[in-house]
Amino acid sequence: MQWDFQDIHHQAQTEAQAIDSLQALEAFRLKYLGKKGVVAAVFASLGQAEPGQKAAIGKGANDLRSLVEGLIAEKQTQVNAAKAQGELVDISLPGTGGAVGRTHILTQTMQEIVAVFEQMGFVAVETPETETEFHNFTGLNIPIDHPSRDAFDTFYLDAPDASARGRRLLLRSHTSPGQVRIMKEHKPPLAVIVPGRVYRPDAVDASHSFMFHQVEGLLVDEKVQFSELKGLLTEFCRRFFGPKVIMRFRPHFFPFTEPSAEVDINAEILGIQRKKWLEILGCGMVNPKVFEAVGYPKGKYKGFAFGMGVERMAMLKYGINDIRLFYENDVRFLKQF
Amino acid sequence: MKLSLNWLKDYIDPKLSTDELVERLTMAGLEVETVESVGGDAVLEIEVTPNRPDCLSILGLAREIGAITDKAVKGPKTKTPKTAVLKNLIHIENKEDCSRYIGTLIRDAQIKDASALMKQRLASLGINAINNAVDITNFVLMEMGQPLHVFDHDKLAGGKVIVRRAKEGESIVTLDGIERKLDPSILVIADSIKPVAIAGIMGGQATEITGKTKNILLESAHFDMGLIRRATRTLGLRTDSSYRFERDVNFEGVLTGADRATELLLQLTAGHLAGRGESLAKPKGTSPKVKVKMADIGSLLGTEVTCVKAKTWLARLGFNVRVSSAALMVTPPNNRADIRQDVDVIEEIARMIGFDRLDSKMPLVKAVNIPVDKRPREIKDNVRRVLTAGGIDEIITHSMINTKMLVKSNMAEIKAVRIFNPLNQDQELMRPSMLPSMLQAALTNINRGQKDLRFFEIGKRYFLDGEKETLGILLTGRRSQDWRLSKKDTVEFFDLKGVLERIFQSIGVYPLYETNQFVVLDPGCATSIMLNGKYLGSFGKVDRSILKNWDIKNQDVYFAGVHLDEIYPLPGKPLKYQAISEFPAIVRDVSLAVKKEVSYEKIEEICAKQGGDILRSVRFIEQYLGDKIQPGYKGLVFSCQYQSNSKTLREDEVSALHECILQALVRDLGAIRR
Repeated sequence: MQWDFQDIHHQAQTEAQAIDSLQALEAFRLKYLGKKGVVAAVFASLGQAEPGQKAAIGKGANDLRSLVEGLIAEKQTQVNAAKAQGELVDISLPGTGGAVGRTHILTQTMQEIVAVFEQMGFVAVETPETETEFHNFTGLNIPIDHPSRDAFDTFYLDAPDASARGRRLLLRSHTSPGQVRIMKEHKPPLAVIVPGRVYRPDAVDASHSFMFHQVEGLLVDEKVQFSELKGLLTEFCRRFFGPKVIMRFRPHFFPFTEPSAEVDINAEILGIQRKKWLEILGCGMVNPKVFEAVGYPKGKYKGFAFGMGVERMAMLKYGINDIRLFYENDVRFLKQF
Repeated sequence: MKLSLNWLKDYIDPKLSTDELVERLTMAGLEVETVESVGGDAVLEIEVTPNRPDCLSILGLAREIGAITDKAVKGPKTKTPKTAVLKNLIHIENKEDCSRYIGTLIRDAQIKDASALMKQRLASLGINAINNAVDITNFVLMEMGQPLHVFDHDKLAGGKVIVRRAKEGESIVTLDGIERKLDPSILVIADSIKPVAIAGIMGGQATEITGKTKNILLESAHFDMGLIRRATRTLGLRTDSSYRFERDVNFEGVLTGADRATELLLQLTAGHLAGRGESLAKPKGTSPKVKVKMADIGSLLGTEVTCVKAKTWLARLGFNVRVSSAALMVTPPNNRADIRQDVDVIEEIARMIGFDRLDSKMPLVKAVNIPVDKRPREIKDNVRRVLTAGGIDEIITHSMINTKMLVKSNMAEIKAVRIFNPLNQDQELMRPSMLPSMLQAALTNINRGQKDLRFFEIGKRYFLDGEKETLGILLTGRRSQDWRLSKKDTVEFFDLKGVLERIFQSIGVYPLYETNQFVVLDPGCATSIMLNGKYLGSFGKVDRSILKNWDIKNQDVYFAGVHLDEIYPLPGKPLKYQAISEFPAIVRDVSLAVKKEVSYEKIEEICAKQGGDILRSVRFIEQYLGDKIQPGYKGLVFSCQYQSNSKTLREDEVSALHECILQALVRDLGAIRR
């Protein structure tokens, strides 16, 4: 019998490569090293071999045995290692369970603003959206028939105001009526923050909405100074927009504060080019007439108040260019935040 | 207010570049919104706040710029002419409506074009030239802020003017050619027959100055600001005049305005002064003195200001200041009606220093004594956490809806709070339910091909007796899919119920769910959420008819409305540690067939009643509704856990009890053991 050892070696090596389990390895071992295996067959053929070939066949059988033993040892290690790893998993497939839901970006922004002031000792209080003329206007030193009301155009409800004959309830046009309510009910020291929804009959476009959100702040005590208003709002802006924010306080007019200011931040830091300064909030020292309206003793207290638009803050911070996106609730918008 | 820098230079040269001037004005509270270059001139658009009507003129702004830059202002010198007093020229019916009226009669005027310079000045502010007489009134209005009007005197019936309220049924064709209906809320200037001008707003066409006009009656007056404001609203007509009257014109300016315009009219129309009539209600008022304690300046601003500096700044603004024992006695100019309290004066000082130069420091925030109920916030936070973790997105929709949306949602019967002055019919009602606005949000997305929606909103519903905070949840489309499963499922009732159960679990409130009927929900699974007889909300499948109305096709919508206001007062279940049993539990599975109308709840009730101390819990495993069970029946599989806190239970005692429970189920519910 003729043995082509080169061919057998080659076949054993090829078969060994395909082995991926212990079963296959055992089959391989049996095929070559088993009692009826190839190596045994080679040795068995020695009996009929020509004397001159015996030495070559013996060497061939021994070589084949060591080759197969080597392959088995090598494969044994590989298969054991693979077995320890478990089944091969395509880890690039997606996980299950679906996307997490998002809190609306306006809620997030409002919560962030409120949190900054809470960390500084303010208490968050919510007051109603349905208001009286007293809380929304008169108590805030805004006479009913006066141009200072122009900035606070108002929706009235088809519902009488039980506290004022012949007058209607209205939807608050700002969160400042919260100041009046809180001061009517509580004595200083006060440090409160009033987040909420407000309404103005503005025609809807990219920057106007008839409904939006504000956060109002009020601090009242016996000694309160304009410098502290500046300090507090500067710190707020740093925490909200980042430590590099550049601000300016610009004199303005609000009937319920005196002095009054608007705060602008430098547009560059937000990557906005169309303008140099962006108005972000209004503020001032509480007008003594407001203290009078809520029944505080004359001259006893001082305070400051501020108010900001939540939509505006979110638009500036996140580069949102159309206020309508907030209320449209397209999932492709919601999922971004 | 527009400010032409060329015109400004007639009175003051601020010696500043345009950019510097813009910056200085803005930082002094006169915010420059835009700067426009018009043929060698720069025109600034300035936002003048309603407290500063004195800045609604070029001269007014020049004075402010003079104060900011410490430069002198050279205004035109006016002189009251000596002339005949025309006693019957002016009649004012009510001096509260019109406190001052000066009528100046100029005869033999030549009406022609105004000078090129005057036309240019007016054009820079966007005012069209008409003729010399009218242009002069506009020029003086812009220069000094006093609105004026000129009548063709020969066209005034009776040759005089009467300031009175319009009569019911009267009307006037104004200069813009529009006929306007008048009523007694509107003040008019009339001749002996008819209204010839709407006071403070616009003149009438019948008496306007034309090329043929010879004799001119010049009006300079002070009208009640509220009256003019209301009339502009009633008429829907606002003009440069009404804008200034609404903000109140200076009582003294009525005379200087009349004098300035008279002088220009005489010069430029070559007419001669025939006389003047004046009606005056109140004596010339002097501005009240305001006392400002030096100590109060520092304590309000937090920046110390010396007496000398305060005095200097105020003097620049034209304030008269007298210093007396650590206080300033300040008399503002008569056109500064906004200065009445010490804080008003302090603001002027701060403005002159520059707000940016004032000190800045952190306030001392004291503990606040306002009792705040933390439960609503805790509940809302938990709701948001549970829902977002469950893949549900928060939306914010408008609180206002329209009748159509209500009708489409089968809620035509609900009386919603109406808006008295809606912007348009799309927002005429305050929503009494979260459903319509949430369906609207769903529809918007569905129309854009986004059909798998999981939304919640925390918002308010509005009623005549108040606002009610509400949670709305809307689920529709495919359930969040597990790609390992081949079945593609859509959301259904139990997905929504599960969400609600998790919310209530998170806030420690354990309500009951009862079958109920609602106009908006499919009766098959309409459920109310009840706790101790109190209704906390409802949920189920939105009725098909509603989806049809909204044009939502081929997908079911599940909706829950939870009345958060009713939940806020409910205390959460107190947290108290329960000992964990050291002894093993024995679990027995049960498989039963019961009639379809028997609710699973009944099984739990019977188990609990029979199970005594050692039945720890009953856990639902599955429901079978297929055909391998007799018609009219359903299969239910559940398990009973038995466990004691004090000993290891013996098999035989559990078996006896378990059998007892099974027998009760067979007896009381007609259950068949499977």
